[in-house]
Amino acid sequence: MSMQTVAVPTTAAAAAESEREQTARLKKTLLQDIGRSIYVFRIDAGGCNGCDIEIFAALTPVFDIERFGIKVVPSPRHADVILCTGAMTRAMRRPALRAYDAAPDPKIVIAYGACGCTGGIFHDLYCVWGGVDKVMPVDVYIPGCPPTPPATIYGFALALGMLDQKLKAGQHVEAPDEQVAISHPHVPYTLRIALEREARRMAGYRQGREIADSFMTLLDHDDAKPVAQRVAEFVARENDPRLTEIVRSLEAICTSVGTNP
Amino acid sequence: MSVSTEISVPRETRRGTAHVAAVWQKLPNSVLEETWQTAEQVTLTVKADALPEAVETLYYGHNGWMSVVVGSDERMINGSYAVYYVLSMEGAEKSYVALRALVPPETMEFPSVTPKVPAAVWGEREVRDMFGMRPVGLPDERRLVLPDDWPDDLYPLRKDAMDYRLRPEATTETETYKFINAAKQETTEVPLGPLHITSDEPGHFRLFVDGEDIIDADYRLFYVHRGMEKLAETRMGYNDVTFLADRICGICGFTHSVAYASSIENALGIHAPPRAATIRTILLEVERLHSHLLNLGLACHFVGFDSGFMHFFRVREKSMELAELLTGSRKTYALNLIGGVRRDILAEQNIRTKQLIGELREEVTRLLDILLTTANMRQRLEKVGLLDKQVARDYSPVGPTVRASGHRRDVRIDHPYAGYAGVPVGQHVMEGCDVLSRVLVRAQEFFDSIAIIEHCLDNAPSGPVLVEGFTYIPHRFALGYTEAPRGEDIHWSMLGDNQKLHRWRCRAASYNNWPSLRYMLRGNTISDAPLIVASIDPCYSCTDRVTVVDVRKRDTSIIPYKEMERYCRERTNSPLK
Amino acid sequence: MYKLLKEAFRTGNVTVRYPFAPLPAAPNFRGKPHYEPEQCIACAACTIACPANALTMSNDVAAGTRTWEICFGRCVFCGRCEEVCPTQAIVLSPEFEMAVLDRADLYQTAEFTLASCRNCATPFAPRKEIDYVVALLVNAGLPEADAERRRAMLEVCPACKRHSEVVREAGSSGSGWHQIGVTP
Repeated sequence: MSMQTVAVPTTAAAAAESEREQTARLKKTLLQDIGRSIYVFRIDAGGCNGCDIEIFAALTPVFDIERFGIKVVPSPRHADVILCTGAMTRAMRRPALRAYDAAPDPKIVIAYGACGCTGGIFHDLYCVWGGVDKVMPVDVYIPGCPPTPPATIYGFALALGMLDQKLKAGQHVEAPDEQVAISHPHVPYTLRIALEREARRMAGYRQGREIADSFMTLLDHDDAKPVAQRVAEFVARENDPRLTEIVRSLEAICTSVGTNP
Repeated sequence: MSVSTEISVPRETRRGTAHVAAVWQKLPNSVLEETWQTAEQVTLTVKADALPEAVETLYYGHNGWMSVVVGSDERMINGSYAVYYVLSMEGAEKSYVALRALVPPETMEFPSVTPKVPAAVWGEREVRDMFGMRPVGLPDERRLVLPDDWPDDLYPLRKDAMDYRLRPEATTETETYKFINAAKQETTEVPLGPLHITSDEPGHFRLFVDGEDIIDADYRLFYVHRGMEKLAETRMGYNDVTFLADRICGICGFTHSVAYASSIENALGIHAPPRAATIRTILLEVERLHSHLLNLGLACHFVGFDSGFMHFFRVREKSMELAELLTGSRKTYALNLIGGVRRDILAEQNIRTKQLIGELREEVTRLLDILLTTANMRQRLEKVGLLDKQVARDYSPVGPTVRASGHRRDVRIDHPYAGYAGVPVGQHVMEGCDVLSRVLVRAQEFFDSIAIIEHCLDNAPSGPVLVEGFTYIPHRFALGYTEAPRGEDIHWSMLGDNQKLHRWRCRAASYNNWPSLRYMLRGNTISDAPLIVASIDPCYSCTDRVTVVDVRKRDTSIIPYKEMERYCRERTNSPLK
Repeated sequence: MYKLLKEAFRTGNVTVRYPFAPLPAAPNFRGKPHYEPEQCIACAACTIACPANALTMSNDVAAGTRTWEICFGRCVFCGRCEEVCPTQAIVLSPEFEMAVLDRADLYQTAEFTLASCRNCATPFAPRKEIDYVVALLVNAGLPEADAERRRAMLEVCPACKRHSEVVREAGSSGSGWHQIGVTP
């Protein structure tokens, strides 16, 4: 790891600059000047291990985070970056702090995963403190449950100043006359609800919605073809036996509700 | 328990009646009640003083294995606490039998089963921690689950003890856990932990040695205890717990989610549609693929074969891609609801899945060939970390660990769940009892999983993936069980009267494997310790240092676990010198 | 050893090009929840369904507003919010680049106006939710002429509704609706 010389402040200047300001300045130097090679020490502060295995996966050939010079080290004493997963359980607070204290300044702390950022699904439980930043200062947050290896690469790239942050805080205030659109307004209401529910029962919330939407678009279409023909062509195009089965059950609902396809 | 909560199970469908009869016969005046939760699950309430003998009768006398010990605060139901010993009966008539005893709140005492059945030790330590119940005669009364700095008289799972968010002040700043060993002389201790090498969770090991030979070992785990069981009773609704269960373990989370959903479905007599059962089966096997590849990769790593490690992880990425294709995420599949699943498998996914598993089969066949013909590999793994068949019988380990010691235990075959009843599942059992046998069992299971996935894709039933609109009946309870990559996961759930669980006990597979680990370590050298620990494929906590206690020299060294690992791989420059 | 070398050559380079090239998104990958506040009726179904409490809703009765908030740091990307939302205002996208340097950037809020009860003037329900319900009723067959009357009935808070029901049940001086100036 290359060390650039850092200007050492004179006594008067040092007195003026608080320790916190110094650390912040050195941290900035770390980010900018450390070059492409950083040493990372992992702490698992009570996670389910999903994050840790994804970190492992990021180190392996398909994602190969080591090509950016990121290396996992066995001792906190060699670390530039502390990578902390887990919601910070009671039992892990002291070991995690020991590791943090052992790592020399300047260092960066990355909170990894939902548990690391905020405690995640465990955020208010009696045996966790609720995130890494309840116990040590955090510089970078990588959300995810677990964060995928590409998300890990992105997080490190952000920490190293290679990429810009995309996510920003946002506040929306309702505009006057803001109205919510009804989906498929030309499909009769009771029919639409019946179709949506059946599609969800058959294929789940995501694919069910897609299939219901496609089907209702077919009902809504204003070309000259009869609906039955449009549906038949759709099914033939998709060439998917399971999709065909689901569409047949939606057609059956149309018939029973009284709208003949 | 009032009779009205019992689900009606027709007599002719009941399995396990022979075991019930055996208990009645052995202890005729001690059985107070018999209730059936499902056709394969029965709970016998016995007088507390008959409990140890009842458990022993079923365990050693009728081919029973200890699945889980559940403590429960039932004061608002019947005025007492209760403790359930759930046994997996694996003889001719396979079923689950739970032996239940009421524990009076005035004394909180009941006779310990551990002296008769060693496999009960962790379960009894845990009911002490969580409820303050006292199993009288329990040989090991150390804390198991709660951290050292937790107040003494605060029992989290008692209904009136505390809000689930209460965080008490630390009672101590030091680690107070006492490590025990069976060495005859005075020993030196080598502490290992809590931040581990194999990247896994934290744990703390103590090895008691004579020179390089391990005489005994002890470990302190549960650094990952978060308090999930209390969360399920408080902030979570029934469907939310499926997502919580996904996060019990980052490697076999979906297996837990299925076990939980099954426990509620069993308790209420809900039948998830056949297509949902098949989809669950497919994803359960996908999870097995990634987990076994992980373990095989780690096995390579520990013997210094890092190229093998990298190749196994490269290939493992295909199983992660498969999971993402079918569930939307590489891990934490979030697929279960009570009554079914949330996603379907359409043609595009079907085709791509078959492609990926074909590639996996081909690649892993080649890699295993390389692995097993690599010089030194067999020699490192053979005859190391022996788990004696009788020791296994005493401690009820599960999964490949127990199958590699000659016992035919597999929940998919013994107690079929999800879609397994209609699926050919191979039983892979070896007699070697060593690390190599465990590796080979996992390798065989890997190929078996691929075959199961293919079978399920080709025979997936039609129909819905979800049923809805059922009634939750308070105080019904049942077990949900699965065969995770590591072994039997078992959940016990009792529904509450407030749209939430009254009690949820989730027992992960490794919980049953840890207690026998010290026997596997005994008689081996220190350099093999990390390899042996990895061979049970633990879902555990990591250790950052190992404490090694030299029995003869009477000294203690603290060795970084990385050093232990390096020694395991390189076999030179012992850290003890 | 030979076999291993052969395997290495056969495998070649497998590393993905990301971040130097975009990563192709897997269809239906559960990434960052994409929220469209314009489509939201602030019904709070998502906040009830969220297992991690990443989604929260709070009322400010004095200001007459209801604020929805998401914390991406707590989100576990399960998609329950998408599953229960009646208007598809929140849908999980394939976006995964969510790392931030400042914790505050993990939060997004949306503020909605609460309609006030016609009887006691307390803000109690989102205006957009009431508008949406009326629109749905019309879509389901309610004559347009009746829409305003129905809206007036909807814009009564639960406490006042209960009160008027009790009054009506007790049979004192006509229907409770008349008491609050509404003709059903």
